[in-house]
Amino acid sequence: MTALPSTSLRAGFAIVKKEWRSITREKTIVIAITIQLFVASFSSALLIGLLSLYDPESISVNARMNLRVGVVTSDFNTPLARYLRDGNLRVSLFADAADATRAFERRAIDVMLVVPPDTLEPVEMKMILPRSETFASFILLILREPLKRYENSLRQERGVVVNYTEVPGQPDTTFQFLYSVIIPMLMLFPAFVAGSLVIDSLSEELETHTLETLYSAPLSLNTIFAAKIFAAFVVALAQCVLWLALLRLNRIDIQNIGLVLLLAAFIAATNIVLSAFTATTLHDRERSQFVYSLFIVIATSVSSVIDAAPIQMVTRLATGDYYTGIADVAKYALVFLVALVIFFRVTKKMVVV
Amino acid sequence: MRNILTISKRELTRLRARVGGDARATFIAFALGALVLAWFTLQSPPTIGAGIYRVGVSPDAPEIRDGRFSIVILDRATGVARLNQKAIDVFVDGAQVLTRGDDKSLYAAGALKRYLEKRETARVNAEFDLAHAFPLRIEVNYFDAVNAAQSFAEMLATPTPALQSTAAPASASDAAVREQIREAASGALPQIKSLTDRQIVVPSLTTPPNPFGQVILAFLFILPVFLVSVFFTSGFMDEKTNRKLTMLLSAPITPFQIIIGKMLPYVTFSLVGVAVIAVATRGDPLLALAIFAPAVCFIFGIYLIVPMLYRTFKDTTFISMLATSVTTAYLITPAMFSGISDLAYMSPITLAVKMYRNEPFGLQEYLFAATPLVLIFALALYVSTRVLNEEYLMGFRPIHRKLADAIFLIINRDHLSASIFVLSLLLIPLVYVAQLIALAISLNLPTTLMIGAIMGVAATIEEVAKSAGIAVLHERGLLRSTRQMLVLAFLSALGFLAGEKGLLLVTLSAVSQSRIAGVLFNTGLLPVPLAAHFVFTSIVCLLTTRFRVRYPFAVLVGAFAHALYNLILIRGIQ
Repeated sequence: MTALPSTSLRAGFAIVKKEWRSITREKTIVIAITIQLFVASFSSALLIGLLSLYDPESISVNARMNLRVGVVTSDFNTPLARYLRDGNLRVSLFADAADATRAFERRAIDVMLVVPPDTLEPVEMKMILPRSETFASFILLILREPLKRYENSLRQERGVVVNYTEVPGQPDTTFQFLYSVIIPMLMLFPAFVAGSLVIDSLSEELETHTLETLYSAPLSLNTIFAAKIFAAFVVALAQCVLWLALLRLNRIDIQNIGLVLLLAAFIAATNIVLSAFTATTLHDRERSQFVYSLFIVIATSVSSVIDAAPIQMVTRLATGDYYTGIADVAKYALVFLVALVIFFRVTKKMVVV
Repeated sequence: MRNILTISKRELTRLRARVGGDARATFIAFALGALVLAWFTLQSPPTIGAGIYRVGVSPDAPEIRDGRFSIVILDRATGVARLNQKAIDVFVDGAQVLTRGDDKSLYAAGALKRYLEKRETARVNAEFDLAHAFPLRIEVNYFDAVNAAQSFAEMLATPTPALQSTAAPASASDAAVREQIREAASGALPQIKSLTDRQIVVPSLTTPPNPFGQVILAFLFILPVFLVSVFFTSGFMDEKTNRKLTMLLSAPITPFQIIIGKMLPYVTFSLVGVAVIAVATRGDPLLALAIFAPAVCFIFGIYLIVPMLYRTFKDTTFISMLATSVTTAYLITPAMFSGISDLAYMSPITLAVKMYRNEPFGLQEYLFAATPLVLIFALALYVSTRVLNEEYLMGFRPIHRKLADAIFLIINRDHLSASIFVLSLLLIPLVYVAQLIALAISLNLPTTLMIGAIMGVAATIEEVAKSAGIAVLHERGLLRSTRQMLVLAFLSALGFLAGEKGLLLVTLSAVSQSRIAGVLFNTGLLPVPLAAHFVFTSIVCLLTTRFRVRYPFAVLVGAFAHALYNLILIRGIQ
C-alpha cells in the first residue's frame, strides 16, 4: 500500500498523538515518573545514609567536639592524645584508671582508653564503651582514624614503614554515588520504561487485532511502527530532559550535558527498536515482556564487565572525563542505526496481517 | 483441593501453549542463559563507580586493581603534565600521590587513599611478623555508667577470650588478630557483636568491606519470582480478554479456589527455584525455603492485586513496575543494616545473609520477618476473592472508581460498623507504604518546603484511608443518618489508631533497646490522638455527606486541619 508522503506523515502523527493521549489519560506516565523519583530518592537517601555509617570523615566537626575521650596512660606525651585532638575530639588524660572510671560513671567522659606503656611488645589497649548499640558504634567510627594513626606510629617505632598515610583527599562517597549510580540511573531508566511501553502498545494491537484496522487506513506497516517508536522515544527523551533540569536545579554540576542527553537518547532509541522487534516477533505481551526483562537482566550483567557500557559512559561524560567524547556517543548512534535498519527490513515479514 | 488442582493444570496447559512449539527450546535456553550470566556477574559483586576516576601511575608505583580506577602508566614529567591538563585525576609517583587541588582530583585521591591503605596493610602483613605488622590490639568492653568501677575490676580479673584459646601466653591476642585478617580477606560483612561480648579489634583491619555483596546474593532468590510474575498476571488477563473468566465463575468453584489454583504452579516454581539456588550457592535448601516461602507468597500477593485493578496492558506493566520497586525496597533496605540495627530483621533477606554467614537466628527473629509478609499475603487473598467477579474485572473505569468499587465489595453490608473498623485497621500497611514513598520523594525538595509538603501529603493519605469507606457507603446510599455516619467515623478513627499503635508495638518489641523506642513511645495519652482522628474524619465525612462538597476537596480540608494539628503538636514538643 502506498500513500502520499504528506498523508502518511499526518496519519503517522495521528498515531503518535493517540499513543501520548493514552499514556497521559491513563496516568501511566505519572506512575512511571513516580517510580523513577522513588527509586532515585530512596536509594540515594538509603545508600548515602548507610555509607556514612562506614565513613567517619562524613561526621561533622560539631558531633566530634561533643565526644569526650578519657585516656589512661603513664605517658602524658603519648602521640595518641595528639592524634585524638587532631581529630577534633576532647581529650582528658588520667594517670589512674580509678579516676577515669569515676569520670565514666559521672558521664564526664564518653569513652575510656587504657593504654599500657610501650615496651615494643604488641600494645594491648583496653577500650570501655557505653552499653548503647548506636552510640557505641558511632564512637568506634570516630575513633577509627586516630587509632589507625597511632597504630602506624607504633609500626614506625618497630621499623615497619607504611606508605601513603599522608595522601590528601576528600571522602568521595556522595560524589561517586551521584555520578555512577544516580545520574546513570536517571538517564537510562526512561529507556527501560519506553521499551516496556512500546511492547505493550504493539502487543496490545497484535493481540486484540486492532492493527488490522490501523493497517486498512492509508498507512504502511512501517509508518505505524515508526510512529509508535517515535512516540515512545519522545516520552523517554522528555523524561531525560526533566531529570537533567532537576539535577541542575539541585546545583549538581553535569559536564558535557548535551552529549549526556544525546547518549541517553540513542540508548533509549536502540532499546525501543529492540523492544519493538521483540513484540513483533513474539506477538503477545506475556512472552514479549518476559523476554524483555530477561534481556534487561542479561544486558545489565554483560555491561558490568564492559568498559564502554552505558552506565560507565554516562558517568564519564557527566564527570567530564578527558578521554570520553562525541566519538563514543557516535558508536551508540551507529548501533541504533543498524538496529533500526534491520528492524524495518525484517519486521514486515514477521507481522502477517 | 481437586478443584484447585484442576485450575492449576489448566493454567499449566495455557502456559505450555504460550511457550510451546518451536519456540520452547529457544525460550528455555534464553532463560537459562540469563540466569547463568546473572550468577557469574554476581560472583564478584559489581563495583559501584566503575571507571569513574583516571589514575596515572609511574612505573615504580604499586599495581592498582580496582574497577573504579582506569590506569595509565606515565613517567613523572608526562604524569604531571597530564594532571594539570585534567586528563588524569591523580598521579601516583612511586610512594607519593599528586593531586590538582580541585574537587574531582581530591575525590579521586580520597578513594585511592583508602584503596592504598588496604593494600599497605596487606603488604605489611605479608612482609613482617604479626607482632610488628599489627602492634596495636584493642580489647573493646561495654560498661553501664552506673557500676563502671565494678565492671572494671571484673574486666581486670578475667582474662580476655583470646587468651583462653591460645596456648602460648606470649601471643595473647594473636589468635584474634589472625581471625580478623581472615575476616577482612573473606569480605565478610562488618559485624557489631553483642554488647556483652569482649572482642579484640585491630584498627587497620576494621576497614569495613563492601556490605552489598551478600545482600545482592540473597536477592538472587527473589529475581526468578519477579521474572515469572509476568506469566502470573498474564494468566488473569488472558482469562479476561478471552472472556473465559465468565465460564470459570459460573462453574461450581469458589473464587478462592480459582486464585490459589492459578497461583500454585508459579509458587511451586519459585520455591523449587529457591531450593535450587540454595544448593548452587552452598546454602541450606530447607532453611532457604523456610526463609523465602513467606517472601514468595508476599510477592505473589502483591502481584495478585495488579490484574484486579488493570485496565490496559500499559497499566498492568506500570503497576507491576511500581509493585516491583516498592517490594524490592521493602526487602532489600532493611537487609543493608544487618549487624547494625535489629530492625534489619524486618526483611527475610537479613535471615538469608545470616544463613550464608553460618550464624544462628531465633524463632522470634524469624517471626518478625515472616509475620507481616504472610499477613499482607492473606489480605491480598481476601480482597481478591471479594472482587473476583466479572462485572468488576471487565469494567473499564478510572482507577479511583475501581478502588471505590473494590472497597464497596470488601465491606460486609450486614456488619457495616465492624467492616469500617477493620477496613481502617487493614489499610495501615498501605498507608505506611504510601507515606514512605512520599517521604522518599520529598527528600528532593529544599528542607523548608520538605517538612510542609510531607506533613500535608501524609495527612492527606491518612484522611483518605479513614474516610474512603464511609464515602463509598454514602455514595451507594447506605448511610441512613448523620448520627450513623459519626459513629462510623469514630470506629474508623479507632481502627486506624489501633492499627497504627499495633504496628508500632510490633516494631518496637524488636528494637526496644534502640534509642528510637523512647522517641516513638513519647506520643502522649491515647485519647488525644483518638479524638483528633475522629474530628478530622468527621470533617471529611460531614463535608461530603451533608454539605455536598466533592470528596477530594473535603479530604483536602480534613488533611489541612490534620496537618495543622501535627504542626502544633511538634511545636509543643519543641
